[in-house]
Amino acid sequence: MKKENNLTRRSFLKTSAVAGAVGVIGAGSAGLLTSCSGNEKSGNNPLKEPGTYYIPELPDLAADGKELKAGVVGCGGRGSGAAINFLNAANGVTIVALGDVFQDRVDSLADKLKTEKNIDIPAEKRFVGLDAYKQVIDSEIDILIDCTPPYFRAEHFKYAVEKNKHAFLEKPICVDAVGYRTIVAAAKQAQAKNLSVVTGTQRHHQRSYVESYKQIMNGAIGEITGGTVYWNQSMLWYRDRQPGWSDFEFMVRDWVNWKWLSGDHIVEQHVHNIDVFTWFSGLKPVSAVGFGSRQRRVTGDQYDNFSIDFTMENGIHLHSMCRQIDGCANNVSEFIQGTKGSWTSNGGHVIKDLAGNVIWQYDEEAEKANFKQTDPYTLEHVNLINCIRGNKPIEQASETAVSNMAAIMGRESSYTGQQTTWDAMTASQLSYTPADLNIGQMDMSGFNVPVPGSGK
Amino acid sequence: MCHVHPHAEESWRLSTHVNNGSGVMVNCVDCHLPPKDNTWEHYSAKVVLGARDLWGYLTKDSTDFDWDSKSELEHAVKYIPNESCVKCHQNLFPEGVTDDAVTAHLYYEENAEKLDLQCISCHLDAGHYNPDYAHGQMTGIPGMSASYDVDSSLFYKEATPVNAFTDYREQIPGTAVSFQMRAIEGGTFKMGSPEKEPFRNDDESPRHEVSLDPFFMAEVETTWDQYWAFYAETMSEGRTPPEVVYQNNIQAMGVDAISGPTSPFGYPDQGWGQGDRPAITMTHYAAETFCQWLSEKTGKKYRLPTEAEWEYAARGGTETAYFFPGSPKAFSDHGFMRNVFKPVTDSISAYVIYSKNSHSRTQPPSSVLPNPFGLKNMLGNVMEYCADKYDPQAYANRSGETHNPLVTEGDEWVVRGGLYSSDASDVRSAARSHTRHDDWLRTDPQQPKSIWWYSDIKGIGFRVVCEPDSTLF
Repeated sequence: MKKENNLTRRSFLKTSAVAGAVGVIGAGSAGLLTSCSGNEKSGNNPLKEPGTYYIPELPDLAADGKELKAGVVGCGGRGSGAAINFLNAANGVTIVALGDVFQDRVDSLADKLKTEKNIDIPAEKRFVGLDAYKQVIDSEIDILIDCTPPYFRAEHFKYAVEKNKHAFLEKPICVDAVGYRTIVAAAKQAQAKNLSVVTGTQRHHQRSYVESYKQIMNGAIGEITGGTVYWNQSMLWYRDRQPGWSDFEFMVRDWVNWKWLSGDHIVEQHVHNIDVFTWFSGLKPVSAVGFGSRQRRVTGDQYDNFSIDFTMENGIHLHSMCRQIDGCANNVSEFIQGTKGSWTSNGGHVIKDLAGNVIWQYDEEAEKANFKQTDPYTLEHVNLINCIRGNKPIEQASETAVSNMAAIMGRESSYTGQQTTWDAMTASQLSYTPADLNIGQMDMSGFNVPVPGSGK
Repeated sequence: MCHVHPHAEESWRLSTHVNNGSGVMVNCVDCHLPPKDNTWEHYSAKVVLGARDLWGYLTKDSTDFDWDSKSELEHAVKYIPNESCVKCHQNLFPEGVTDDAVTAHLYYEENAEKLDLQCISCHLDAGHYNPDYAHGQMTGIPGMSASYDVDSSLFYKEATPVNAFTDYREQIPGTAVSFQMRAIEGGTFKMGSPEKEPFRNDDESPRHEVSLDPFFMAEVETTWDQYWAFYAETMSEGRTPPEVVYQNNIQAMGVDAISGPTSPFGYPDQGWGQGDRPAITMTHYAAETFCQWLSEKTGKKYRLPTEAEWEYAARGGTETAYFFPGSPKAFSDHGFMRNVFKPVTDSISAYVIYSKNSHSRTQPPSSVLPNPFGLKNMLGNVMEYCADKYDPQAYANRSGETHNPLVTEGDEWVVRGGLYSSDASDVRSAARSHTRHDDWLRTDPQQPKSIWWYSDIKGIGFRVVCEPDSTLF
């Protein structure tokens, strides 16, 4: 029933990561691995002093400590994946409650937990419906693992913080301006309560990116002057409507194709790459002008390609492009230009000087030799659990909200044909909530593909 | 313990800093001094304030203090270091925060330094309760009390017919509001100031001949009674994109089609009173829309005065700095003589609401005498919008006698006449000024910012002129 391309998103990522490891390690660069790159010798000026920016500790397994119970809301592919990632990240962690809008989703994850981890989720801890998140959060859990379609994330996070729960939030964390503000407020409340929040921007917990970040902070490419980020891939999956499905059920089961549920693929997927640039540069976008269109998407009301020109706070530009169309050139990576050189994650993490010489390359083989756990989807849970157990709270939602909002700005500019600004978009009333949101039939006349310049 | 401030203590006890659900009491020094961990700032400010209070205690009677003036924002910022607010209020997004507050506080966090925003710009009553201050969207229509509503027999049925070029009292149909219009004969006058006029600015130069057609001008600045009548009939709900409003109003046929102001944040009268006090804090666009509405209501052609009409009317036939006797040098706080003598306030105080007699707020028209044309508060009280864009070179660009000049190019609008906080030098008949659009909106957290209400200027208003029908001559 579910139509997959040959290469799913996540397996694509894994494949490209492996491909990256095969890349050439430049002659003479063997001594320039990871952090002992001799920046002092080369006279680089650090962009930030060590200790003034966050570097996660990424051991194979979280330290032992108090038992932590999690509840999973959104039990589809990502929710099931995150549940297993969480359980693999530490000893003394378990899952005690599940929630989804569909019974079959809850049951399939319960089965998986039983088979793979010997965890029993009794029937009274399997919650179904739009309010299932509340029941899960109220089930004496410590951590909410929220992996629903993105539209629902902000309200779920808000409630979790209200109830003093730590959270793992799959990205993106909002799809519109109203959701953005909900996230920002809840994130501040989480900080005040010493709660930990990790978002599914797993590059922040991927050692190759973390080491690249250190290099750039140490001044390896000089001052950042711009960048281009990409998520160009083949068509993503979609589902045909089945007899007996309500409008709601159809859209949610096909959610990566619907604007209100996913935020469109620039927000839902490409946010990863935009996030790398906002993370490395520490800059917010002040404005965006973009375009996009729908060429070959089968279901839903989304585009399948975007190209955005972001103007950042200090006036430099970020070009972002994303596409989900078969038979085209693919590339999922980031490129950042600096005054002394450039960095890219395309084909391994590589820094070149202005003459094109490789001056640093991440050694993936060394990572594999030194660490048992190299999966960033698990490592983000390792860090979350360590932060909770070590009482050193991590709050990633505020940072992710920036890249998430950037993606929203790009999307809205493309939909409307107008320039969008940070100031206007963060304060706007833009909401993707359908007027008649319910789990049955809905007014489908409002779900249309936007036409730039038309006001529609 | 805080010196001789009985009034301040009473309002403090009623404020949320004492009268709250948590039982925590915030004391005078918590807000009025910089935080204690800024040791030097804290104690040096303490010494200065202490010395000032001691001086005040020894030399002044605390009942003479103008407490209302001191509680206005422009004074309050001197006594409330913003870092003291932020010291305690570290989380601007506490649980239960509303979406509007999130929007406003996000705006504050991102712009506080850049735009010098203060917590008390919006939370002026946090430390001292003020029943005339509201934090939130204004609801209802001020002035529309029950009795007013019911007694519609007092409503005017039709506008005043004008059959001759003489003064008339306009009646706004469907309301109980009327106001006096003065017939201003056309003529020629010298616009700008002579080179020897004290305190003249470059933009008043050169003095040049201007001739004008006759017009009617409102005796007083547009009042709250008039403005709320307009608001009641045209107010718009929610936020329509500005372009849509502009387009709509260009095409509007009839009163019902005009889109007027959205509800303001707080009480735009600042708690100073309404009635015949001048309406304030509206934008130039709002003032223009008022004129459009008034024209539809009365079948006449109302508009904002041109800058030339305004100065001609303000001078009332005089060519001196003011329309009454006296030199700006004698009245002003500026200049060499102020080191020796106090400024004179006689005569000017009878005609102008300015820094020396205003008590830091607008005053009703009854508190001043009219000028030779029978117009009140042309100088002082509130700045008045003109139909012209501001160009400092406007006069220099004219040659010979100019007829009915109007400047249409520029970024800001001309405002004339000074305001309640102006020095005497800035309420001269020739003194020019202009809007500061971005600065006057800097606290407004909305996007797009309001096209109807300014957040950061209080002393701005307008008066209307009416173009006489050609059949009158």
